[in-house]
Amino acid sequence: MAELFAIDDAPIDAGRLLAAVGDPAAGASVLFLGTTRNENAGRRVTRLEYEAFATMAVREMRRLARQAGRRWPLRRVAMVHRVGVVPVGEASVGIAVSAGHRAEAFEACHWLIDRLKELVPIWKKEHYRGGTVWIGAQQGGPPPPRRRARRAG
Amino acid sequence: MRVRVRFFASLRELLGPGAPRAVPAGTTAGALWDAIVRATPAAGRVRVRIAVNERYVDAGHALADGDEVAFFPPVSGG
Repeated sequence: MAELFAIDDAPIDAGRLLAAVGDPAAGASVLFLGTTRNENAGRRVTRLEYEAFATMAVREMRRLARQAGRRWPLRRVAMVHRVGVVPVGEASVGIAVSAGHRAEAFEACHWLIDRLKELVPIWKKEHYRGGTVWIGAQQGGPPPPRRRARRAG
Repeated sequence: MRVRVRFFASLRELLGPGAPRAVPAGTTAGALWDAIVRATPAAGRVRVRIAVNERYVDAGHALADGDEVAFFPPVSGG
């Protein structure tokens, strides 16, 4: 099975991620899926949109996988992040890790999603009724969404 | 020398996708960003991250001819 590190606008295929980490020496495969939530900071999110610096993002994913492989005795790692509009409730990111035993597979998968959120150049734009906001771009906490028009009353 | 500037996310919406740009020899990534903010002060509200040839660098990183210099806000994938 070919290795899988990708930025893709298609829905994330969990089976493909698990297949990419299949290994006869693995005793555990852990799959993490991050799914888009319908609220953030008390606001109702109608849809999310992701943008990536795709070539750098894939390079960073591979670098993180190599780092994880030095910290834990892993068999294989696969990482996919979706871009474009992701409807609420669908997966925006998927990470699969296989290892000889479950402890290192769980730990490495947790570490990988935390590092991805810090380092891989991908940005989330949340759409609300009446506005949008890029997450992460603002100083401090998220500001209220920009209003296109003041609502009456 | 010439470098290729790229912007992403909120900076792309503010400044466009970026373009080739002539800079003096020895320019640092941070000095190039300062010049961009002088031209468009609103860009200075972003805590900018800089990558040269797809690797994170500090503001003091000296640019070389032909470099691709990406400026973007803190990442928020996941």
